[in-house]
Amino acid sequence: MHAPEPIRLRSLMTSRRGAWSLALLLGFVTFVAVVTLLALSGWFISAAALAGLVSLGVGFDYFRPAAMIRLCAIGRTAGRYAERLSSHYAALGLLKDLRVSRFQLMAQSKTAKHHSADDLQRLVSDIDLLDLFPLKVVAPWLSAILLSALLLLFWALLANSLLLAAIPLLIAALIVPLLGLSTAVKLSRQQADTAAQRRQALLEPLSLLANLVLWQRWQQQLQRFNQADRQLLTLQQRQQQLINRTVLLQHCLLGLSALLLLWQGGAALAQGQLKVPLLLAALLVLWALYEILTPLCHSVVALGLSLAARDRLNQLAGPTAAQTSGPVPTGPFKLAASQLTARQPNAIVGPHKISFTLSSGQLLFINGVSGAGKSTLLQALAGELPYRGELSLNGWPLSHWQLNHSIGYLPQQPDLFDLTLAQNLRLGAPDASDSELWQVLDDVALKTWAQQQPQQLDTLLGEYGAAVSGGQGRRIALARLLLTKRPILLLDEPFAGLDNLTAQQVAKVLQQRQQSGLLIIVSHQQLQLNHSTTLTLSEQ
Amino acid sequence: MLAIAAVALLVLQSYLLSLLFADWLTALANGQSPTPTLLTSLLPALALCLLGRPLLHYGREQLSVQASQQVRLTLRQQLLQPIAAAGPGKSQYGTDGAISTKLLEQVDALDGFISRYYVQRYLVLVTPVIMALATAYYSLLAAAILLLTAPLVPMFMILLGNAAASASQKQFTELSRMGGRFLDLVRGIATLRQLNALDRASNSVAHAAERYRDSSMRVLKMAFLSGAVLEFFSALAIALLALYLGLGLLGILPWAKGEIPVPYQGALFILLLAPEFYAPLRQLGSDYHAKALAEAAITELQPILLQQAWQHNGNQPLSFAAAPAIHINQLSIAGAEGRQRLAPLSIAIAAGERIALQGPSGCGKSSVLDALLGFTPYQGEIWLNQQALSEVNLPQWQAKLGYMAQQSRFIAASIAENLRLAMPAATDEQLKQVLHQVELWPLLSRLPLGLDTLLGERGLGLSGGQLQRLALAQLLLRDAPIWLLDEPAAHLDGATAYRLHQLIGRLSLGKTVIIVSHQLHGLDWLDQVIQLPEGGNLLRQGGANARA
Repeated sequence: MHAPEPIRLRSLMTSRRGAWSLALLLGFVTFVAVVTLLALSGWFISAAALAGLVSLGVGFDYFRPAAMIRLCAIGRTAGRYAERLSSHYAALGLLKDLRVSRFQLMAQSKTAKHHSADDLQRLVSDIDLLDLFPLKVVAPWLSAILLSALLLLFWALLANSLLLAAIPLLIAALIVPLLGLSTAVKLSRQQADTAAQRRQALLEPLSLLANLVLWQRWQQQLQRFNQADRQLLTLQQRQQQLINRTVLLQHCLLGLSALLLLWQGGAALAQGQLKVPLLLAALLVLWALYEILTPLCHSVVALGLSLAARDRLNQLAGPTAAQTSGPVPTGPFKLAASQLTARQPNAIVGPHKISFTLSSGQLLFINGVSGAGKSTLLQALAGELPYRGELSLNGWPLSHWQLNHSIGYLPQQPDLFDLTLAQNLRLGAPDASDSELWQVLDDVALKTWAQQQPQQLDTLLGEYGAAVSGGQGRRIALARLLLTKRPILLLDEPFAGLDNLTAQQVAKVLQQRQQSGLLIIVSHQQLQLNHSTTLTLSEQ
Repeated sequence: MLAIAAVALLVLQSYLLSLLFADWLTALANGQSPTPTLLTSLLPALALCLLGRPLLHYGREQLSVQASQQVRLTLRQQLLQPIAAAGPGKSQYGTDGAISTKLLEQVDALDGFISRYYVQRYLVLVTPVIMALATAYYSLLAAAILLLTAPLVPMFMILLGNAAASASQKQFTELSRMGGRFLDLVRGIATLRQLNALDRASNSVAHAAERYRDSSMRVLKMAFLSGAVLEFFSALAIALLALYLGLGLLGILPWAKGEIPVPYQGALFILLLAPEFYAPLRQLGSDYHAKALAEAAITELQPILLQQAWQHNGNQPLSFAAAPAIHINQLSIAGAEGRQRLAPLSIAIAAGERIALQGPSGCGKSSVLDALLGFTPYQGEIWLNQQALSEVNLPQWQAKLGYMAQQSRFIAASIAENLRLAMPAATDEQLKQVLHQVELWPLLSRLPLGLDTLLGERGLGLSGGQLQRLALAQLLLRDAPIWLLDEPAAHLDGATAYRLHQLIGRLSLGKTVIIVSHQLHGLDWLDQVIQLPEGGNLLRQGGANARA
């Protein structure tokens, strides 16, 4: 995996240059067809009328313009269709790239596991927002600039006097959208922040709803939400107003430009420098430009949204986890802790000055009431939490070893994925056979349950593993962990939901499997096991 | 209204322009040099059109935005009412996260529909009619071309739109499925790292995205086709009109050789109007997804909106202050879809008696509490001493209740602020006293910030048992004579549950208590344990201490 790098908007389009170029080209062609269709039609009937007035149609070549008009009509239709397809193809490709790269980035970031579900939800929608940049910012501006240039060229060829009057206004119409740029970007950022605040302000009272109603504090607690809601709506309104005002200004400028074009054109006609059909064509080209320039006013908001999304995505990328290197420990193992103290972030209490030693084949049983810090201790041992005191494996501090393939840690809330049972298990060992899967399910007392499922190994575990109970989920994760064949196992409450007898059996199997390794189990159940040391933590 | 005025201005503008150009052209054809006299006279009117239309458009947009905001604000307040009235039953609408998504994002998704689609729907009927009438004045055939193609557009829109709508619905599902897969894997990133399965997972992300792209491209082709049809008709009609008018002006139409069916001024007028004829239709087409979004959102919101906010109508003042006796007579509660949440139940609880409700999950234990809390309608009677619950003033009754759920939640604020939610006027001394009673003070007093220590998101930093004891402290501050406890120790391990149960026993003396609990470990102080079987028959046991 390559090193993570912050997202830059301008590099969004580099990865799929071919697809984007095609989309932009098609978009441009479509717009040219739109403009030409109008201008040509106008010119055609004017020229035809002129020819008709002079000498009823004799000598007027109507085949070529007629064919051109039909071509433009078809080009416009086909072009727009193809442009939409190709730009969406490119955009979807971009989203795929972004998802994969963000995933790899978060995979390497040490802080990833602290993100709440909400953060992650936001991550998904933020990635979706990034395709606004090429679709709604780059493409419209490129088309608008190129077409305006073409229009100017056309006018210049007709008569220089047309340019003099209309150019400044046209350019102004092009520049107007940029006036709102900084405001739009600022508004987008404020909107994103307010939206997050609003969500928080709703979630909090919602989580204590029953008591707040009983205490008659519900309406009062909701005030913060109502306030945030109104604030957000005001921001949205201001943004919409910004767009509306730029559109208003732009269209007024374009209107003035049209008036000046007529004025100058009239003068040019009088002097015989210009023909009527061509003046009409020039005016109609300007008409068609309305459709092309208006999206520019919306583009600043899209830019603001994608900038805000980019910033949030870049914030999510935390510091990269230190690459572990060093020798891989080999058995027999000896784990020694001395005066170990650890705390959850912000926690008041936790394990305090714990000491023990453990050698291969032995089981350490950590006991104690909830709140005594059993899980915290295990997390510290697994290297997931900083600790004070000393912790050594085979005589060396833990940091000396590369432990990726040695320590297996079962947290209290292990993650099951929205995959089948077999797929979840094979995350531990991709090459495991079905019989190996059944064996390991038997070891964790899940074989009967799995056999009762209509789809057996192919049972879907539902979103976030919701289809299984907490205890079952933990044991599925345990089975997955066992498949990785780690010599050092740290298990947090693996027997939840099991009666004492079954728990005892599972513990025996675990002991057998770990004969040449280390096994540490946190549980509030009392089990009778050979070769085990029990460490009881007490609440301070 | 503003929009229609804008259309009228457009017609006028096209008329003026066609007059102007016709004048120039005739002058030219007659060998004269075109004069700017007409231009000067028309200029003010033209300026009015060119500048007036953007202004009218601006006004219309502003009004739409305001309307949409008003609707969304009101709708959100409307949605919050049934949710608040449902109390703990809010879970029928989904998790808190899902509810807030509905209230926030889904309601906001209506914006495009209200502010654009709604108006556009009328405009799409009015505008073409006005324009077709104007066209018909000059040429019936041209108006016929316009009018013939116009209905084809909505017709194809409906044909393709239906297909496209279901297709885009599918794509939406695909998208959320891919988002779900991504989210699922990101959430489990720590586990994947543990298992050294990150590369496989990132491949899976890539695969899912690739599949999504392929499937949605197939879908998009269809969706864009409806756009292409619109485009095709409008382009075709313009081309047809241009050719018909142009060839007519040349006098070489096959059926009318040597005639000029539409004079130049009329022809130009028609041509200028033609693109605008289709503009509202095309706009409607591109706003179509706003409608699809809104429809999806409304489907999500429907269950909450349809829920008749249940009204408690009683208005009698409470006639007691101390712990009352509670008589439940033939109480039953209907659930969704005709199911019964609680089969008829009768219990008599003496004043100051403390009982437990037990039974298999789904037998309606918690529903009894919901009914007593005033969060759900019920059949049967609940008597509080000699007063019927349905007759009393609900806020007064609720003020007498102490309620605790399986997992107590706290706001991200200090311990003191959390406690004062229950009793804003409580002094620091009172807070310390209740914390002492729930045996938290020895621990909290050691904190450098004491009562001002912040509780993190979801009360991070305290264990489950400690958080439940903090919730108990809130109840003590209220000094409520009736406690309704819904499995307060369900998420605690044996020893901690025992300790919490014992603590509740010591602190609830003299109160009328109903506790729903799976295990009776540590509840030896109860006067009565009532078993609710699944079917309705009531098993009554003596007090737990009587059995022991």
